[in-house]
Amino acid sequence: VSAGAAGTVRRRRGSRAARSRSLGAFFAALPPILLVALFAGLPILLAVGYSLGHTGGLNSVTASYAQHQYVSSGGLGTTGAYREMLGSERFRVDVVVTVLVTVLSTAIVLALSLGIALNLRLRGGLVARAIAALGVVPLFIPVVIASWAILTFYSSDGFIRSVFAHIGVDAPSLGFKVATIVIGSVWTSLPFAVLMISSGVQAVPDSVIDAARDSGAGLVRTTRSVILPMAFIPIVIATTFTAIGVLGSFTVPYFTGPNSPRMLGVDIQNYFSAYNQPQQAIVIAVTIFVLASGIAVAYIWANFRSANDKDL
Amino acid sequence: MKRIHTVAVLAATTTLALSGCAKKSTDDAPASAGGRTTVRVLISGDTNVQDLWTKGIVPGFTKANPGIDVKVELDLHGEHDSQNLAKMAAAVKGDKDAGFDIVDGGFVAQAARASLLLPADPETITGLADVPPDIVKAGAGGGIPYRGSSVLLAYNPAKVKNPPKTLDELLAWIKANKGQFTYNSPKSGGSGSSFVTTVLDKYLTADEQQKLRTSYAKELEPKWDKGFAELKSLNAFVYQGGVYPNGNSQVLQLLSGGSISMAPVWSDQFISGQKSGQIPATIKAMQISNPSFTGGAAYLGIPKNSPNKDAAIKLTNYVLTPDAQNVIAKTIAGYPVIPLDKLPADTQAIFKEAHPENLRPTYFAEVGSDMSKAWDDKVPGQ
Repeated sequence: VSAGAAGTVRRRRGSRAARSRSLGAFFAALPPILLVALFAGLPILLAVGYSLGHTGGLNSVTASYAQHQYVSSGGLGTTGAYREMLGSERFRVDVVVTVLVTVLSTAIVLALSLGIALNLRLRGGLVARAIAALGVVPLFIPVVIASWAILTFYSSDGFIRSVFAHIGVDAPSLGFKVATIVIGSVWTSLPFAVLMISSGVQAVPDSVIDAARDSGAGLVRTTRSVILPMAFIPIVIATTFTAIGVLGSFTVPYFTGPNSPRMLGVDIQNYFSAYNQPQQAIVIAVTIFVLASGIAVAYIWANFRSANDKDL
Repeated sequence: MKRIHTVAVLAATTTLALSGCAKKSTDDAPASAGGRTTVRVLISGDTNVQDLWTKGIVPGFTKANPGIDVKVELDLHGEHDSQNLAKMAAAVKGDKDAGFDIVDGGFVAQAARASLLLPADPETITGLADVPPDIVKAGAGGGIPYRGSSVLLAYNPAKVKNPPKTLDELLAWIKANKGQFTYNSPKSGGSGSSFVTTVLDKYLTADEQQKLRTSYAKELEPKWDKGFAELKSLNAFVYQGGVYPNGNSQVLQLLSGGSISMAPVWSDQFISGQKSGQIPATIKAMQISNPSFTGGAAYLGIPKNSPNKDAAIKLTNYVLTPDAQNVIAKTIAGYPVIPLDKLPADTQAIFKEAHPENLRPTYFAEVGSDMSKAWDDKVPGQ
């Protein structure tokens, strides 16, 4: 009995210390939590409320000039705006295009930055370092300027077509196409992925790679079974950040993309200001949020995995 | 009048996120001190509009009204439009000072529709008596029109010997000269919007057009179908088989660079572009007829509860005098909103090809938004 009682006391004392520690942590985290709640949480709640037809209160200014509004008749609200958007052919096409551009751009960015990182890790040398440095350059060029540059480079009177015209070939114009958006997205997303993945790959110790090679593993086997698993977390982080960035991008598709179909980032701007339909714009925002949440799950899972790895 | 500069859109979108950057215009508070009144003018636009006020309108006004000072504040490219509109909405609803007495910018229309502005009534603003009532009406009740511009057909005479004179001739020309014409998407700028409006109007009666200009006549919108079918049939004949750039200036660039040889352009943008050399002097512009391209006015707004209302009204009335209208015509090539014969002969000469007296107004703001959306859904890539 006494041993059990002592155990309970010890456990209780332990839990009290833990509780006071967690209370301290709670107060330390309170300012950022309040800040996020006030400046991000509240506006999101208001916006979602507005999209469900709650046009009173703080939403009344927007509601006073919006067009094609669905006004709630009570209760939780109306799903009219959501039904309108999800039922429209145009919106469905735009969602598909957005997902397609995101998947394609992310895949290309991943392949390119993995190549750059592996080249730097396994071959090294001046050329590999120069390529890695070059991959980071877009970070220092504003996206607006980059988008314009890309558009003029590939447009009908651009560099590519001019060069081909000199040798008598009529090259296709890539301006204002979905392909141009993919090129632009890859260009703007590459630096972060290169930094993230090459630092992850660089962190794999020489001894591990040498050990793998000593036991007869070739380049492919070393990469697949040793380097990639060890650099897994940074790769997942780079992938999720790239995908979320492309998913919600505006500048690149706005400048370089076609009039139709559009990516959702451009659609939000259209609905919000050009068509004066803020409610429908919020529906698009919610859609992007849902899509991004799917990607975020992968990110959180990777974070948990890395936390668990450390505990072990 | 809708004129979206691509840069402004971008800037506005990014500053939405950085709302902390909102300008504070209340810190150096104004109002009357020692019998003097200060009118605060907030400009949302480009530096040319600022120059118009500080170098043209204000000196003339303060000379005529020595007791009143004018303070001009520029919000470049309207970057803070949404914050300034929100600030005005909150100020009017709470009966506080908004920090400005006159607004010159695109968000005046939104403010007028939300009833935040002093009514544009010829009883109080006497200068409006000379302004065509249709243009006043298009200001949604609170906007005071003070300068106009219209869309013209610009063409490259080296490639186009006999430019089309009417809309029908223009449509025939587009089909006969593949890839030589384009216009910007209506949502991204007024010149493309005007071309679309004009084609849609071809299939509407005069009464129906009038209703769409002066009210939100949603029930007439299905009658656009024929016009949109016509526009859709142009896809294959437009630049690169259906590329519609975003923004007035992108179209001007294509025209100046020789990629296309004809396009609708804004009169003031065209005239000042030729002055600055961005548009080659060889390119010409003129108005078509039957119907002509639309135009519109830039509007001023006075917040309902402005503390310097009387002085603001005085300044607004001054802007509508022949003297000030002449300055506007000379400095930024803006069409006068008062009858042309009240202005000097040399000013009348500048506008002889543009026919500002026949300014065919654009659609009512809400109708325009619906048109932009319908075009997006029905024309490009279809």
